[in-house]
Amino acid sequence: MTDLPPGIALEHVSKRFGAVAALDPVDLTVAAGEVVTVLGPSGCGKTTLLRLVGGLERPSTGVVTIDGGTPEAARTHKRIGFVPQSPALLPWRTVAANARLLQDVNRGANPAALPDVDALLDQVGLAEFAGAHPHELSGGMQQRVALVRAVALGAPYLLMDEPFAALDEITRADMRHLLADLCEPLNTAVLFVTHSLAEAVYLSDRVAVLSSRPGRIVDVVDVPLPRPRTAELEDDPAFFAIETELRHLLHQGAGR
Amino acid sequence: MWATAGVVAFALAWETWVRLRDVKPFVLIPPSRIASELADHPRFWVEQTWATAWHTVVGVSFALLSAMVVGAALAAFRPLEWAAQPVLVLVMVTPWVAYITSVVLWLGAGTPTILFMVAFVTFPPFAFAAVLGMRSADVAARELLRSVDASRPEVFWRLRLPSALPSLFTAARFATGLGLAAAYFAEGGSSSTAGGLGEVGKRVTLNATGGYEILWGSIVCAALLGVVLLVAVTTLERRLLSWHASQRLVIG
Repeated sequence: MTDLPPGIALEHVSKRFGAVAALDPVDLTVAAGEVVTVLGPSGCGKTTLLRLVGGLERPSTGVVTIDGGTPEAARTHKRIGFVPQSPALLPWRTVAANARLLQDVNRGANPAALPDVDALLDQVGLAEFAGAHPHELSGGMQQRVALVRAVALGAPYLLMDEPFAALDEITRADMRHLLADLCEPLNTAVLFVTHSLAEAVYLSDRVAVLSSRPGRIVDVVDVPLPRPRTAELEDDPAFFAIETELRHLLHQGAGR
Repeated sequence: MWATAGVVAFALAWETWVRLRDVKPFVLIPPSRIASELADHPRFWVEQTWATAWHTVVGVSFALLSAMVVGAALAAFRPLEWAAQPVLVLVMVTPWVAYITSVVLWLGAGTPTILFMVAFVTFPPFAFAAVLGMRSADVAARELLRSVDASRPEVFWRLRLPSALPSLFTAARFATGLGLAAAYFAEGGSSSTAGGLGEVGKRVTLNATGGYEILWGSIVCAALLGVVLLVAVTTLERRLLSWHASQRLVIG
């Protein structure tokens, strides 16, 4: 098992729910420190794919490995920071306590040096809300807390399940800029699931385009834009060119 | 202010009606006579009310604690819940007045019977509230905790129990009234010597030679105790559930 390079690897992974095929066999890798986005239409199985990697579902066929081990082992050792679709903040905990939630459980598996939650909250502009409760925050602020909560694990992998899907367009743009700022210096590998072209291009090193259900990979596109990514990049012709390419692939995947 | 006015108006109407219609004392006595009885023997009434309060609070607390343990088990294993549900429903709907004699025969007259009755009748609403509340824990938060392999106790303390608090408090408001009624009735159980308002009331009824001030004194004290318990539960709820939507005032 140790002959595999570090990273996430899906080999011929598929998933059926009863008679419904959610995901056709998929091969995909995420190298250490790499940001890979799974882009696809609603209901194409991209969330299922993420849950398979996180060990929250078991594949019907194929194997998922994380650093050569099982997703369950990665969970046990807290090597995965999960950002769900809804912020899933606990309403009785303050912002700071919510951000610490994942540090607080299964403490034995925490890394020796945990990221500083206060500094992270400061970095996402929530320092003055540390003592506030979730109901006092806007949707975008809640999702920032959810990001900090995952990053605060200091885990080598982040799995993000359309975390910005419920936000308005302006907030979404702010959030992807913030996410890039937050993750780029950490050299964390990210598997990001979205149906937003701009998010896919802005955040990723590579984008895997999924077809409509049952999802299969139409193509994997490299995003050779320079890092660190900045907001101005979104006006660059190169950015548009990749967006256009991805859009064509999405259409191709939907119209088979 | 308006609340006080309401109570005063009610007492005045009561007083006037009893005096004008010349209601027989074994039916109803005017509030002024109850008030003077309470004022004449304050020590006695405080002691009796205290005994009933103690019975109610201890019994209800015991029901709450055991319901949380049982609720956690039921919420964790569905088959267990299916098996337990009919029994809980039976306990809840069976008139407890009917079987209290058997309990007295079993545990003897006195404190154990009273506490058992209070705990037994208030247990089912707490158990249902605990199961419902623990199961209502946010699915996304549950998966999140799974994603870092949080243990069952961790999930219980950090997610399930706080999620159950709102429904437990709703049950607690209902259970204090129920528990107080059970305490009053069980205290009146034959030859009980545990004290309490129920015993006082029962003694008067057995005498059948008057002493209606004392019967009504026990009723008024029980009512006041009920109010105090309810206020205590509500205050605690405000404090512990300040985060919950039900406790937030709409501002602006």
